[in-house]
Amino acid sequence: MLAARVMRSARPARTTWFAVTVEADPSELSGPSRPDALARLAERHEVRVTRAPGGRGSEIAVRAADGRTREEVRALKQLLETGEVLVVEGQPEGHRTVLGRVARPAFRQLTRRGAR
Amino acid sequence: MRALCWTGVNEVSVEDVPEPRLLNRQDALVKVTASSVCGSDLHLLDGYVPAMLAGDVLGHEFVGEVVEVGPDVRERRPGERVTVCSIIGCGRCHYCREGLWSLCDNTNPNPGFQEKLNGHASAGIFGYSHAMGGFAGSHAEYVRVPYADVNAFPVPENVPDASAVFASDAVPTGWMGADLGQVGPGDVVAVWGCGGVGQMAALASLRMGADRVIAIDRFPERLDMAAALGADPLDYEHTDVLDALKELTGGRGPDVCIEAVGMECHGTGAQYAYDRAKQAVRLQTDRGLSLRQAIQACRKGGTVSVLGVYLGLVDKFPMGALMNKGLTLRSGQQHGQRYIPIILDRMSKGEIDASPLLTHPMSLEDGPKGYELFKEKLDGCVRAVFQPSRS
Repeated sequence: MLAARVMRSARPARTTWFAVTVEADPSELSGPSRPDALARLAERHEVRVTRAPGGRGSEIAVRAADGRTREEVRALKQLLETGEVLVVEGQPEGHRTVLGRVARPAFRQLTRRGAR
Repeated sequence: MRALCWTGVNEVSVEDVPEPRLLNRQDALVKVTASSVCGSDLHLLDGYVPAMLAGDVLGHEFVGEVVEVGPDVRERRPGERVTVCSIIGCGRCHYCREGLWSLCDNTNPNPGFQEKLNGHASAGIFGYSHAMGGFAGSHAEYVRVPYADVNAFPVPENVPDASAVFASDAVPTGWMGADLGQVGPGDVVAVWGCGGVGQMAALASLRMGADRVIAIDRFPERLDMAAALGADPLDYEHTDVLDALKELTGGRGPDVCIEAVGMECHGTGAQYAYDRAKQAVRLQTDRGLSLRQAIQACRKGGTVSVLGVYLGLVDKFPMGALMNKGLTLRSGQQHGQRYIPIILDRMSKGEIDASPLLTHPMSLEDGPKGYELFKEKLDGCVRAVFQPSRS
């Protein structure tokens, strides 16, 4: 009991929201002009769009975002701001070692989505 | 095509790799004519940056010719000779709009690593590990350049590759060091490290009107090069730096201290031995000798401008000196896009010549030898530059 209470107080609860700021007016992210990718996210997750302070666009927050969803949210931001999502697969590369080839999917996952 | 790949700690090799292709609508393909080694590559080579995979193409400081552009590229055209900024910006996010290009939100598709380590991720960099986006580097015959309109800059005809190549990184990084320190007339500036970036920080400080620039290193040929630019050389192996800087500044200390060394700093004495030992057993990721010295030396109320690359944790950080002397600490990877047009213009007018940095022009096939000369500072090497068309 005591141990559990100490553990709880030692590790504060983490927020369940994953948020990004996008250079877009909130009006561009709601109603008929809402981007498809944002609509799809909203089907699976609770999504909150608010105006960012200081004319910095909009804050998009997604609840209970797993690794895949975080990747989607970042892609959405990139699409809205730059018009496309940057691709790094398919670039030139030299000989990959056996270990490198085996570890690559997990490595990619870690660098792309992060450990959370 | 041929490309220089990282194959393991302190191992590089030239390999046959597939040619790059346009992967995004705003990409350009550039035929590389010159690509320089950089001190920051040594951290990759030495295995201090964990997000490297054998087979990754190295190189981030380059000049070349545009050979193909994507359908949404508006400004750049095939045939143009361009310097490409080593740090990739998108041009549209809040940071790029503010001129803080190396903080770009959109050009690092692999932000997970840095977010865990640093809280947030910075921009993508060519050939600089998967933590910096996993972009193939420029030590190759061709390289793909994302968001080409904002990252590739036409080079004036009268500026040779030997100077233009350094407008990609060494010159704008040095320029930013002086700019962050707001160097102006009457200032005394001290620069730690006389590699390419340190040399250019000294030059930028002089161009911004500094009264005096003191350049600190231990290699005679690098100190001579700084002296040729107009700086006063200071050899830290033979002179106590803190003592000398006080004497040279009437006891005040330099107004601006520019650190152009980074996480693999060399030095002398017990502090250096301590740093090496702790880094070797990974109790600290970065050696902070020159950074500590810059903070200690800086005059009260002065600015310390950090250009050297640091990855994670530095031990024994002199927070007391920073706080009690009221210092300003400024830093960052270079916001090159802000400075490159000015630098190319000044190069064209003959006000900046970076070509003395190029001590070793080489073929791409000689890449491993080039890195060895550069790393071990052999044969007076300041920068080895690979020219893929050279045989």
